Amino acid sequence: MNRKKAFQIIVTLPVVVYSLLLILIPIVYVLFLSFLKSDSFGGIEYQFTLENYLMIFDIIYIKILLKSFIIGLLTTFICICISYPFSIFLMDKSETKRNLLIKLVMIPFLTNSLIRTYGWIVLLRKSGVVNTTLSSLNLIDKPLNLMYNNLGIIIGMVYTLLPFMILPVYSAVSKIDARVIDAAKDLGANKIKRFIHIIVPETLAGVFNGSLMVFIPAIGYFFISDILGGGKIMIVGNLIKNQFLTARNWPFGAAISIFLIVFTFLLIRIYKKIGGKLDELGGL
Amino acid sequence: MKRKIILLLLILLMSCSCSKETTRELNVLNWTSYIPDEVIHDFEKQYNIKVNYGTYSSNEELLAKISSSKEGTYDLIFPSDYMIEVMKQRGLIDKLDKSKLTNYSNINPLFLNQEYDQYNEYSLPFLMATTLLAINTENIHDNITGYNDLLNPEYQNNIVLLDDQRIVIGAALQSFGYNMNDFSDEHLEDAYEFLMNLKKNVKAFDSDSPKTFLISKEVDIGLVWNAEGILAREENPNIQLVYPKEGYALSMDNYVLVKNGHNQDNAYLFIDYLLQDDVAQKIIDEYPYISTNKNISNLSDTELNSILKNGSYVTNSEINGENGIRKFDKLWARIK
Repeated sequence: MNRKKAFQIIVTLPVVVYSLLLILIPIVYVLFLSFLKSDSFGGIEYQFTLENYLMIFDIIYIKILLKSFIIGLLTTFICICISYPFSIFLMDKSETKRNLLIKLVMIPFLTNSLIRTYGWIVLLRKSGVVNTTLSSLNLIDKPLNLMYNNLGIIIGMVYTLLPFMILPVYSAVSKIDARVIDAAKDLGANKIKRFIHIIVPETLAGVFNGSLMVFIPAIGYFFISDILGGGKIMIVGNLIKNQFLTARNWPFGAAISIFLIVFTFLLIRIYKKIGGKLDELGGL
Repeated sequence: MKRKIILLLLILLMSCSCSKETTRELNVLNWTSYIPDEVIHDFEKQYNIKVNYGTYSSNEELLAKISSSKEGTYDLIFPSDYMIEVMKQRGLIDKLDKSKLTNYSNINPLFLNQEYDQYNEYSLPFLMATTLLAINTENIHDNITGYNDLLNPEYQNNIVLLDDQRIVIGAALQSFGYNMNDFSDEHLEDAYEFLMNLKKNVKAFDSDSPKTFLISKEVDIGLVWNAEGILAREENPNIQLVYPKEGYALSMDNYVLVKNGHNQDNAYLFIDYLLQDDVAQKIIDEYPYISTNKNISNLSDTELNSILKNGSYVTNSEINGENGIRKFDKLWARIK
């Protein structure tokens, strides 16, 4: 046998074993589970059923899915609105400055996201930093309800997921040939026209890539809706968690998970259709 | 090639096989914040037994841990009332031999022979919790005596509830005078109406630390576990604790032996140790639930009797074959 080939196999073996053991097998197990019946004590009956999938289409769960999608879409939209100006702002900065600013975007990742989410409580609560500052400036006479509602969830989601949007958008924007923009300027296009006719079409794939990486976690991050939404709003992530932990209905939880995985694949297909490259999805 | 891979896997497997332990051990799984570290250290020192102490934060998490781990991984657990039935049905726990416990007589007989384990074959009571209303009287001047008082529109965004469907839906059922384990569609529909009204006043659902909401004055009213209420009152003496007149939830956590645990003898030693008066005192000093030790309780038997009588346990309505838990879960999703 060829020594080079043996070396290649040995080097890739850990990755193969890792993906098989920790990614493929669990997903296959979840898929398998989603077609089984659950018994009344939270165990599993080995009997085929499609009931779990049909249950997803109950109006109650459809409402939760819709609510999650709205939260996901809003989060994605706000992230896009922040990422474009930031990326365009970076375009004509020197390389050192650009690197520094991008690093600043990444730094919060070094801390656990749960802890960062708890940090927001200190800022947003009734007697928190924001409210006390505003009231000491006499701008408000009653503390604002900044958290334990939809607003709190959106703030938390945008904060946690923003870097996933900034990075692909920045990378797409920085690839635009500066000469094209110069040419547009010479031909009399103003800032808005340049943005709509040059920057947007050139960066669409990057934005879609970022949107995938923001939207999908946003419908599943149950800890953010628990902590900043005060547990009042249930998103799909909470629903799945409840099936595994409180309702003891593992097959139903598995079916919702599979439903989301299929949905994600559909989004990725659309992404590929509009010309996105799978390599650029990185995280997925 | 194939051989090489197999060889590699074999080496991997061999390096995993464990060496035999000779020290005495005990594997315990308990609720977070339930036994002070000091108590465990003292026990380890006194008996020269190493306690591997793991924690969980819900009965369902405990169930998942026990049913998915190899037999003999854990020795002693502390499930609540209704979970004992589930674990018994699924063959996950062993019977207890009370004759091995010298301090058995320290348990207040009031807490024995409860409905969830009629003759205490599988369990012995450790600590009891009840839900109650904690009210900050600095800002709330009305006399709140029960759940129906919470619907007052003046309390908008001013209430914290436990993030627990059985407790909260149970309270809604009790507000109509129904049993908190009632899951008839008609009564659950009433509970739904009640909770949709109450939701306008709810700032947050939180089970981890609802006392924080009360202490930081984020809210003035809370439906919380008794120990949380007592700890909140220690921080703010204006907080008043009220047992809702319509009833409240009881929750008893119990000593239970996991099936075929390797160190059951050590588990008995540990239970016996926790049953000692001074140890039981240390535990409730730190976590002020209701102790089952008859020598240290600061509540008289009459008071305890009335607490037991007016509260009710969460039961496993599933055993009635109508998928009660599923109904509660669906209602919960609808409310949120």
